Amino acid sequence: MSQNDFNMLSRRTLLKTGGLVFTVGATGLLSGCEGDHPPEAASTLATQSSVSPNIWVTLYPDDRIKIMFAATEMGQGSMTHVPLILAEEMDAAWDKVEVETVAVHDQAYGNPIFGNFLYTAGSTAVEGYFDPLRIAGAQARLILLNAVAEHWDVPVGELKTEPSLVVHKDSGRSLAYGEISGFAKMPQTLPSIDKSQLKPANAYRYIGKSVPRSDVPSKVRGAAEYGIDVSVPDMVYASVLRAPTQEQTPLSVSDTKARQIKGFIDLVTLPHAVGVVATSYWAAVEARRLIDVTWSEKTPGSAFNSEDDLETYRKTANDLSQNGVIWRDVGDVDQAFEGASKTLQSEYLSDYAYHGAMEPAASIAHVKDNGEAELWVGTQTQSMTILGVAALLNIPPEKVTLHPMLMGGSFGFRVPLHEQKWAEDALLISKAIKKPVKVVWSREDDLKTGLYRPQAAQVMRAALGEDGSLLGWNQRVASESPLSFMNPIRWKSAEGKDIIAMNGTESQHYAIPNKRAEHLIMDRHARVCALRGVAASYTAFAAESFVDEVAHFAGQDPLDLRLSLCADAPRARDVLIKLGEVCDWRRRRLTLGENVGRGIGLALAGYKKSLAAGAVDLSVDRATGEIDLHKVWIVADIGLAVSPRNVEAQLRGSIVYALSLALKEQITIAEGETEQNNFYDYPVLRMNEMPEIETHILPTENPPTGAGELGVPMVAPAIANAVFAATGSRPRHLPFLPERVLEVLNS
Amino acid sequence: MTKFRLNGEAVEASSPPETPLLWVMRDEFNKKGVKFGCGVGSCGACMVHINGQSTYSCITSLDAVADQEVTTIEGLSPDGDHPLQRAWVEEQTPQCGYCQSGQIMRAAELLEQNPKPTRGEIVDHMSSNLCRCGTYHYIIRAIERASGQG
Repeated sequence: MSQNDFNMLSRRTLLKTGGLVFTVGATGLLSGCEGDHPPEAASTLATQSSVSPNIWVTLYPDDRIKIMFAATEMGQGSMTHVPLILAEEMDAAWDKVEVETVAVHDQAYGNPIFGNFLYTAGSTAVEGYFDPLRIAGAQARLILLNAVAEHWDVPVGELKTEPSLVVHKDSGRSLAYGEISGFAKMPQTLPSIDKSQLKPANAYRYIGKSVPRSDVPSKVRGAAEYGIDVSVPDMVYASVLRAPTQEQTPLSVSDTKARQIKGFIDLVTLPHAVGVVATSYWAAVEARRLIDVTWSEKTPGSAFNSEDDLETYRKTANDLSQNGVIWRDVGDVDQAFEGASKTLQSEYLSDYAYHGAMEPAASIAHVKDNGEAELWVGTQTQSMTILGVAALLNIPPEKVTLHPMLMGGSFGFRVPLHEQKWAEDALLISKAIKKPVKVVWSREDDLKTGLYRPQAAQVMRAALGEDGSLLGWNQRVASESPLSFMNPIRWKSAEGKDIIAMNGTESQHYAIPNKRAEHLIMDRHARVCALRGVAASYTAFAAESFVDEVAHFAGQDPLDLRLSLCADAPRARDVLIKLGEVCDWRRRRLTLGENVGRGIGLALAGYKKSLAAGAVDLSVDRATGEIDLHKVWIVADIGLAVSPRNVEAQLRGSIVYALSLALKEQITIAEGETEQNNFYDYPVLRMNEMPEIETHILPTENPPTGAGELGVPMVAPAIANAVFAATGSRPRHLPFLPERVLEVLNS
Repeated sequence: MTKFRLNGEAVEASSPPETPLLWVMRDEFNKKGVKFGCGVGSCGACMVHINGQSTYSCITSLDAVADQEVTTIEGLSPDGDHPLQRAWVEEQTPQCGYCQSGQIMRAAELLEQNPKPTRGEIVDHMSSNLCRCGTYHYIIRAIERASGQG
C-alpha cells in the first residue's frame, strides 16, 4: 500500500466512523473525541512521503506543511487567518505552510456553528474553527513531540518546539518537522487535548500579529484565478437568456438569425431560460441578441410589484391583531403594554438590495457520460453546492467533483442549496451538449436574477412607565422568509424562525424587562437571500432609530439612555463609552444641530457575539435632500483579533458597504421584472462619496468572533439619527434617497 | 487579423474586429487579469492602458486598438514589482481583489501624469473605479505610499 493510499484510507475510515471529531464539552472545556486509526496507521514505512497527524494537516519531508481550509475565500481573508490558527498551535513555520481548500461535503470539516456543514457565512469562519483548529494543531504538535521523544529516548517534557522544529535543549539537538515526518508513527489512538495544553495568548507568534494575507501578491499581479477565469480543454461558452419573470418558460425558440454569428453552436432550452452556446463568449453574447423566444404567460406569482407588496407588509406590521412567529420573547410584553402609562409606536421601511459582487456569477461545468459531474465555481458553501448539484442531476454527491474557486466578492449570494442558477445553467447545458461549458452572466443577468436582501416593513413599539422607564419593547418585522427559500435544509431545523429575516432584533444588551421580536411572514414573491449584515442591515435601522425616538420623547441624550440601558452589559457599555470619547459626542451634540444643518448620530448594534457602536457626522442639504457624510467612527469588540489589521480592513469594508446600502441601493420590481440593470441605475458608493472612517478595536480576552459584517448594522441607524439631529426630521425608508429625505424635511 | 502591440510584443488577434477588447484579452490572449465587471464602462474592473491611457476595455472594440500599444496588468511590470504593486502589498489593499487590476492600472496612469498627487487628486482620478469590498481607504494609502507620500 502506498502512502497515498494510506492517507486516503485512514482519512476515509476516520470519516466513516466519525473518529476525529472534536467537541466542546458542556463544561466549556475542550476535549478531543478519540478515534482509532486503522491498523495500517501504526505500521511505519521505511521512508514515508508524508504524514497526516489528523485530517487537517499533512507534513512532507521537505518541510512543507499542508493545512486544510474548510471555509472559502471571498475577500474576507479567512484563507490566511483560519489556517494560521492551526499553524500557531502546531508551531509550524508559516512560510512553509500551503493551504488547500476542502472541496468535499464532508462533515468532519464542517463548521460547528452551521451543524458541521461547510458553510462560510454569518462571519463565523474564525469563530467556528478557532477551537477545532487549535486542538488539531496541538494534537499534531504532540504527536511530533512524542515521536521525537521516542526516537531520541528522552522524556517528552524536555522537548520544546520552535517554528517547524523540535528542540532538545539539554543535548543541543533539533529536528525539523519535515525530518520527523520520515519516521513519526501515528499512534493507535490520537491523543486528546484539553484546554490546559493549548498555547497561552502571550506565547502567540502569529495570532494578534497581523500576518499578511497570502492571497495578496497574486491579486496585485492579476494572477489570482477566480471562478470566471477558469478554462478547461474542449470548453465552449454560453450566455443565458432568462425568462422576463421567474416562472415563465420558453414555449418556442428560433435560432435562424443567431446562426449567422460565426462561432454559434446551438441553443439549449432550460426550465426558465435559453442557453446560447458558442465557441467564444462574445459570440454567445451576440447570438443571444438574435434569438427569438416565445415565453409562456406571466403567472400571478411572478408578476408582482414590490411597492404594492411593501404596502401590504406595512399594513400587516401595523395591524397589532396579527401575531408573528416569535423570534425572541422575554418577560410578558402584552402585560407591559397593557400596564404602560405611555406607549410609542413607529414604522420603518426598507427596500430590496442586491449584492453586486464585482465578479458576476460564472461557472464551468462538465457533466460526463459516466454520470459524474465536475464544477468550477466560487461558492460560500461546498456542502450546499455539492448537494444542490447532486439533486439537480439526480446523482450521488460522491459523483460531484467541486473546484471551489476564489470569489470576486460574494456578500451572501453564493449560498443557496437549489438556487445557484449560475452553476445550474452550466451543468444543464453541459449535460445537453456533452462538453465542458463556461457560463458567464452579464452584469444585467447577475442583477436581474439576483438573490436580493428582502424588503421589509417594521413596526417598533415601546411601553413606558410613569417615570419614563422602558418596560416593554416590541419589534414587528413583516417580510418574506429568505431562509425557507435559500436553504431548505437549514429551514427544516429552524422551527419556523428565520434568522436571515430576523437577526439584529434581539436588543440583547438592553435591560428591558419585557421584549419581543416577531416575524410576520409574507408571501414570497422575490428570490430572497442573505446579504452582508443579513437582517441586521434593516432590523438595527428600526431598533436603533427607535431608541433615539424614545430618548427624544424622554428628553434624554441618546448616549446616556443607551448607557443606562446597558448597566448590566459591560461589553456594550465599554464600546459606548469609548465611542463617546473618540467622536467627542458631547461637544459635537452641543455645537452641531438643526441650526447648522449638521448633526451627529450614533447606534449600538452588534452582530451576533461581536459588538460595535458607531457614530456618523453629516450634513443635510435642505434644498436637495442630499446627505453629505463627514466622518464615521466605529468601536468594535470582537474578542481576540487573530489579525487586527484584517479586522480593521473588514470594519472599514463593511462600513463602506453599509453606507452604500443606506444611501443609494434600491431594487424595485414591477410586473415581476427588476427595474434596475447595471451600476448606472443601481449606483454603489464610489471613492469620492466616502467619508473619513475612524476605527477602534477594543482589546479583550474573549474568544474571537466575527468581524466581516460588524460595520453594517450600526450604519443606517446612525445616519438616520444624525439626520434627525441635523434637521429635526427622521428618515424612515431605506435607502435614504435624496427625494425621500426631502419628503420628510417638507412634511 | 488585427495587429497591435500587447505588453510590449507585436501580436495579431483573430477575433472579429468589433469584439470588445476585454474578451479578446481574456479569451484569445489569456490575459485573465483583465476583469469583466459591468460591460458598460461603469466599474473599471476591465481597465487597460492604450498608449498609456487608462481605458475601459469592455467598451473598446478590437479594431480601435489596431497598431496601438495595449498594456494589461500582466504587462505593467516584469515581475509584478511596479511601485504601485509593491505598495498594494505593503498596504494589504486587496480583499476579494477582483477590481484591483483595474484600480492599479488606473492609478499607474495617475502617477505617470502626476507623480505627487494630492489626496483630492487621487480621489478624483480613482472615482471611476468601483470596489465593493470597500478598500478605497487602502487604495488611497497605497497610491500615497507609491508616490513617496506614505
